[in-house]
Amino acid sequence: MRKDKMFGAEEEENEINLTPMLDVVFIMLIFFIVTASFIKEAGIDVDRPDAPSADSQDDAAILIAISANDEIWIDRRETEPNAVRGMIERLHAENPKGSIVIQADEESTNEMLVVVMEAAKQAGVTNVAIAALKD
Amino acid sequence: MRKHDFSFGAGDEEENEINLTPMLDVVFIMLIFFIVTASFIKEAGIDVNRPDAPVTETKPEDANILVVITADDQIFIDRRLIDPRAVRANIERLHAENPDGSVVIQASKKSTNKMLVWIMDASRQAGVYNISIADSSA
Repeated sequence: MRKDKMFGAEEEENEINLTPMLDVVFIMLIFFIVTASFIKEAGIDVDRPDAPSADSQDDAAILIAISANDEIWIDRRETEPNAVRGMIERLHAENPKGSIVIQADEESTNEMLVVVMEAAKQAGVTNVAIAALKD
Repeated sequence: MRKHDFSFGAGDEEENEINLTPMLDVVFIMLIFFIVTASFIKEAGIDVNRPDAPVTETKPEDANILVVITADDQIFIDRRLIDPRAVRANIERLHAENPDGSVVIQASKKSTNKMLVWIMDASRQAGVYNISIADSSA
């Protein structure tokens, strides 16, 4: 019986045991479901200021970037300062537990930073952090 | 012999197997979806809280540590011009005098974010984790 295994004659021996592969696939699936965080990225890269005491912001859900020439980027779009509040309200409704991290460029002015923080406060998000480079 | 892994009884062996293929398809599609949407972003940052009342209305006896950043990125603590490297020592001294006080940073609109984060970092290194930002119209 076993000799015929390679030639497909015997049906009993010919099946591949899928159980180990299924185990691996399920474990990968569970891993990716658990780690999925669905962060709304800002869309631009900024020069973050250095701050060795910065903490990792684990519950960040919305990233808001302020570029060096004071443009505000939310969810991969440039946003007018007076539209920031509406954007934050909409994104915050999708994930009410998440906090906001403002990625402000080193050279951006604090006027824009305060505008965004004020908008976040008016939108009901109390947990706001400013991004910094840890090392 | 192998069939016994899947069969539930002594019935017809061929009929008793569950077809796993559709479930495998679904599981693979879910797996691919979660792999594609996974974004392993870990953003480091410093928490801030906004004071409810403007800083100008708080009374002097509240004795928060007030740090002022002017439009040209100069730092004033206690009405004295402070070198950026001396901010931490100054905050440590004021924090020792009043351990309950938080740091309030009053940043000019034209000051840069770099100086703001520098002061926030300095105050955290000095042991003051309660930091507020107030904008001034200066």
